Amino acid sequence: MAWYHPLRTAFDALVRRGREERQMDDEMAFHLEMEARRLMREKGLSEDEARYAAKRAFGGVEHHKDAVRDERGTSWIEDLAQDARFGFRTLRRRPGFTTVAALTLALGIGASTTLFGVVKAVLLTPLPYGRPEGIAVLWSSWKGFPQTWLSYDEYEGWKTDIAAFSNVGIFSDGAINLTENGESERLRAGFIDRDILPILGVQPALGRGFSAEEDKPNGPNVIILGHDVWQRRYGADPSIVGRSIQVNGRASVVVGVMPAGFKLPLDFGATGPTMVWLPLGADAESNGAIPGPQFQQGGGNHGFYGLARLRAGATIAQANKQLTNKVAQLGEAIYPKEQQFRAFSLGVEEQVTGRLRPVLLVVFAAVGFVLLIACANVAGLLLVRGEQRRREIALRVALGAGGQRISRQLLTETVVLASLGGALGVALAGVGVWLVRKAAPAALPRVAETRLDPWVLGFALGVAVLAALIAGLLPAMQATSVAPQTELRDGGRTATAGHARLRWRQTLVAAEVALAVVLVVGAGLMIRSVVNLFAIDAGIRPDGVLTMRLSTPAAWYPDSVRVAAFHDELRRRVSTLPGVKAVGLARILPLASEMGDWGLRVEGYTPPPNQGTPGDWQIVTPGYFEAMGLRLVQGRFFDDRDVMTAPPAMVVNRRFVELYLRGRPALGTHVRIGGQDAKDAPYTIVGVVDNVKHNGLTREVKAQFYVPQPQFATSPGNTSRTMTLVVRGDRDPKQLIGPVRSVIKGLDPRLPISEVRTMNEVVQLAIAAPRFAMQLLGLFGVLALVLSAIGIFGIVSQVVASRTQEFGIRAALGATPRNLLMLSLGSGMRQAGVGLVVGVAAALALTRTMTTMLEGVKPTDPATFVTVVGVTAIVAIGASLIPARRAAKTDLAKVMTG
Amino acid sequence: MTDAETPSRSEVLQGTLEMLTLKALTLQPMHGWGISVRLRQISGEVFDVNQGSLYPALQRMLRRGWIRAYYGDSENNRRARYYEITREGRRQLDAQVAEWERSSRAVNRVLRFAPQGG
Repeated sequence: MAWYHPLRTAFDALVRRGREERQMDDEMAFHLEMEARRLMREKGLSEDEARYAAKRAFGGVEHHKDAVRDERGTSWIEDLAQDARFGFRTLRRRPGFTTVAALTLALGIGASTTLFGVVKAVLLTPLPYGRPEGIAVLWSSWKGFPQTWLSYDEYEGWKTDIAAFSNVGIFSDGAINLTENGESERLRAGFIDRDILPILGVQPALGRGFSAEEDKPNGPNVIILGHDVWQRRYGADPSIVGRSIQVNGRASVVVGVMPAGFKLPLDFGATGPTMVWLPLGADAESNGAIPGPQFQQGGGNHGFYGLARLRAGATIAQANKQLTNKVAQLGEAIYPKEQQFRAFSLGVEEQVTGRLRPVLLVVFAAVGFVLLIACANVAGLLLVRGEQRRREIALRVALGAGGQRISRQLLTETVVLASLGGALGVALAGVGVWLVRKAAPAALPRVAETRLDPWVLGFALGVAVLAALIAGLLPAMQATSVAPQTELRDGGRTATAGHARLRWRQTLVAAEVALAVVLVVGAGLMIRSVVNLFAIDAGIRPDGVLTMRLSTPAAWYPDSVRVAAFHDELRRRVSTLPGVKAVGLARILPLASEMGDWGLRVEGYTPPPNQGTPGDWQIVTPGYFEAMGLRLVQGRFFDDRDVMTAPPAMVVNRRFVELYLRGRPALGTHVRIGGQDAKDAPYTIVGVVDNVKHNGLTREVKAQFYVPQPQFATSPGNTSRTMTLVVRGDRDPKQLIGPVRSVIKGLDPRLPISEVRTMNEVVQLAIAAPRFAMQLLGLFGVLALVLSAIGIFGIVSQVVASRTQEFGIRAALGATPRNLLMLSLGSGMRQAGVGLVVGVAAALALTRTMTTMLEGVKPTDPATFVTVVGVTAIVAIGASLIPARRAAKTDLAKVMTG
Repeated sequence: MTDAETPSRSEVLQGTLEMLTLKALTLQPMHGWGISVRLRQISGEVFDVNQGSLYPALQRMLRRGWIRAYYGDSENNRRARYYEITREGRRQLDAQVAEWERSSRAVNRVLRFAPQGG
């Protein structure tokens, strides 16, 4: 058969429909006339008799015309258009039903589309590197430090000896001052060696990366700008490459500009990502390392991040095996057993999004549940409507509509409904994505990259089609089982058939309740978990605390005396601001970044063989303890007597005392820090403070010491130029931002300020992932409960409506309103009960997947389960009560006459 | 019920109707009524009832490209729609005849053996 015949007839039929119809009419009239003439001629009938006989022989004219129309090959298109028009019309006639059903679907579709957008941005979109699957992030690990930096010796060793790596590079991070036209800005900067960009497979968008001549100690001053800085500070001027700009008060040549969106692997989910890049300029000598693949004991100073490019065909697992073998081969002489040293690598995708993946998958599954509940609800609504339309359908069946045609029409109606819901859902998803981009904590890597792209829209379309099928199939099947004789004869009150259909609805409602229970249990566990996180005593009081970072560059503050003088004056001026109760500075903020450690020598304490006496170091000024709200256990905080020339004073935490000063008086004990010269005066412990959970709310607290900034600058000798100002006030900390800024400006207008945050914001960022999960699961749990409540409300209403007559008679026979109430309540409660039992069982099985996300609560936490069952039961009773009270008011007279 | 009965009968007749129509058209192009007259002559009055069912069949064969339609003057000088068989239609007719013969042979065999088997 030639392919164009069906197309042509279909085309003719659609485009020249009127002509086709006329031709058909003419042709059939011609036939009838010719036949009548033949009958008159051959059988001698009269004209009337002949016409009648011809018509009889021809059969139903309209029937045959319909058959011809069907054969034109376009009937499915016409049917579809007709069904859709009909669907729209019937939906418009019932605006209440349509609104509820479309909104329900829109909620399900919108929520799942938004979440798919997030999943796609975080888990499905490759990182913006060349062949990201071949990039590994390198880590060291030892006792107390599960994931920490590399040393220069290790860098050289892994580069030479690990066959799985084709290249290894190191980098570190810090900050620089960028000055342009007298206005300066503090920017986070990455110090990268010349191999980092080739390993990442990324080229600068303009200019070039660093050369070997630039990446060496005391090399030329060069810088690569990030796209944002380039746009914001230099108006996206391409001629910036080759020009000289002021970096840390010195002229530096811009050699390149990175493409938009470029980030170092560890900057995803970082609060202060690096925005410009300078050459690392490190070599073995400047790092106290042994040149070549040689190792010193303990591996040397650990202070670099490491990246590696896998050789073609090599895997992370192979690399890790080779690293383990290499460490074992180096042996006790380099890495003593007690140190528990380990070197390992992580795939870059795992590094960036590994922590978020389980959270996202759980939340995505939860949104799938919400979608299912929404579909079940709409299916329930359609079933009720099917009930009301049984007579209409029966009539149409009796008039000759085929069963297939009817179910197709009902399904088309659902598709129209799903299209409405889908369109609304996409609009909702648009809002959702906007909210996610706006509100996503920066600590969640890549979440802010969520977009409504064609893939996400395609997903929404798929979900809408799926929802139409799920919600529409059952009602369509039910409707076609209509038998016109019974429906039309006894007025549609067929008790038995009605019961079968009611059972379907009851099953749907029970399923909804079960799904809702699972969701609400998940939400409840997350809420408890986050409450537990908040309840953890971090050792600080974040309320009312404002923080901001500032730096005193060596170009303007050449020595530590001037830095200390600046800090003293800054503290003095800020403390006179209205509402300020305490002010101080610290090297790093608790819960904001990981703290490193120094080796100590504690008087009277001898570490076990081959073990050091590490202490996490914090450099502070007087006033910091009060401003951050640390608790003093014994002794005193720092105050204005702890100046540079005073006897060195130290404050330690409780853990320090437990580890190194067991049973001995802490106050007055002498401590030497790292390479502090024996002829310098040692530090003397003047106070003990309670533990601060610096590295994370759920992390183990290590021995920690605090020393005054000016004293640390002279011994062991290290001026902390970048400090964070901590201000405690008696009001909303945000109100202090302006006044504090102007104080700093009044002192030195050149100094850039960055990372202005309240301490509560810092704490919330530290638990961003569980909070994110809690908020979403909580939202979905509430949605699920509301939708199930609507479902229960619907079924009880239906039961009450279908039994109005019965209730009226019962009332007449002496049933009290209370009896009637209980009778109709029971119909909703049974479903809710079944749903609760199934839901609890399902939740027990499913919440296990959340174990890693939970803090201080088991996935089978009895309190949560009991609460959820209680809440769901109350919601179910509430939803049943409204229609049930109508039943209680049933009046026989009204029922019989109305 | 009507819905349940009509399809079964038309299904049985449909194939035969097409085959006979094609056969009729191999002689000369004809209009619809002419075909019905010819069919009555071949089939012996079977098609006297429900003549109108010819038209859906014609439309179906048009769509499949087995026949072509054109307008011409009829016996009494009225314009009428004439149908003529295409090459595709002739191929189809041969195939259908062959198929029909094959199945009627099979039916005959069954009828012949039935008395012995049963």
